[in-house]
Order: sequence, then structure tokens, then C-alpha cells
Amino acid sequence: MDNTVILEQLTGIFREVFDDDNLVVTPELSAKDVPDWDSVNHIRLVVSIETEFKLRFTVEEIEKLQNVGDLVKLLQPKAGGGQS
Amino acid sequence: MPPGAKTRSFASLAEGEIARRSFTVREDEMASFAEVSGDHNPLHCDEAFARSRGYPGRVVYGALLVAKISQLIGMELPGRNALWSGLDIQFVSPLFIGQKADIEATIVRVSAAVHALELSLRIACQGQPIARGKAMVTVGRDD
Repeated sequence: MDNTVILEQLTGIFREVFDDDNLVVTPELSAKDVPDWDSVNHIRLVVSIETEFKLRFTVEEIEKLQNVGDLVKLLQPKAGGGQS
Repeated sequence: MPPGAKTRSFASLAEGEIARRSFTVREDEMASFAEVSGDHNPLHCDEAFARSRGYPGRVVYGALLVAKISQLIGMELPGRNALWSGLDIQFVSPLFIGQKADIEATIVRVSAAVHALELSLRIACQGQPIARGKAMVTVGRDD
């Protein structure tokens, strides 16, 4: 799956979870940039992404993530398709 | 002394598992809830007022239905290791004092990455939906 498409899908999920239609999701975005990115919303975010992309993460995969760019890299092979 | 909460390990929880209970809200539970919440709205406390609004009797507090969901999550699914972190609920029909209701929680998602469950919730009275919703529950580690 194209990284741009992944980022677009993530944008919809982030906006839903954080209830912010204006949230701009970039590869550089991380928890420190979103005031409502607390532990509860983190769980909602992970479960929503798993559901939307129809995949499962491991604890180790989630713990390594530093920003949205890392998440896109993690999703890229799992979501299928080539790099672009 | 009330019964203890079940202890379910995260590994034992599977998508599709269903927990069910039946309950009937009593007068004394309504009175206790009014006291605890401070909500003395006449729809819940005044029989004549409720009838004047077209209901056959006082309407059970929606949050009292949530209390029954809390019981199911905290005592049974997943029980002792539960940490309830989210609820999205719609109250679709009124429930009245003394009516038997059935509550059902179904695990629709298990996320090992964040040790969380997503539950689909349904409360019905004689097959008619009273409330439906979703809950997010984190499952703590076993001792």
C-alpha cells in the first residue's frame, strides 16, 4: 500500500480518536505534539488502527514507535503493496 | 459478603466470547442511585410526573444501566483484572422499575499490543433494545 494512502487513512483515524477534524498528521507527528495523546487515547488509537487496517501489532512493535513515520513504516509491509 | 470478581488472564480472552446477566431494577436501587448521584429528576422519582409525560411509570436512570455494565465488566468479563477506559452508549428505549432486563457483552476485539478488549454491549427487555454501545477495557497483568 502506498505510504501516502496509509497516511491518509491514519489521518482519518487520528482525527476520530482525538476528536479533531483539523489535526494534520505528518510523519514527524508524535505524542508530545498532541495534547490529548494520553495512555487511554493511545490504546484507542492502536485498537482503531488494528481494526481499520485489519492487522495485529505486537507489544514490541508498539513500544518501538517514536512517531507517525515509524508507524507508517510498520504498516507498509503489513498493509501489503510496494513502496512509493 | 458479595461474591468475588472472576480472575481472567488476558490469554484466556477470545473474540466472540459473550457474558450475559439478567437484572431487575428495584425501588431501593432507584432511591440509592438518586442519593448517590444527586439526580432527583422527577422522570425517575415522581410516578405522577412520569405518567404525565406518557410513560407507564418512573424511568430507570440510564446511568444505573451503566452501573450494571460496570458490574459485568468488573466482576465477570474480564473481572478482577479489568480497567475500564471508555464507553460509548446510546439509550434507545426506557426501562421501568421491576422489569427484567438482559445484558450482554461480547468481545469484538482483543488487542495483545495494548492488552485491551473492545466489548459490544447490549441491554434488552423482552427482546426489545434498551441500550447499546461499546466499551474499551484494559486487562491488567496477572499477579
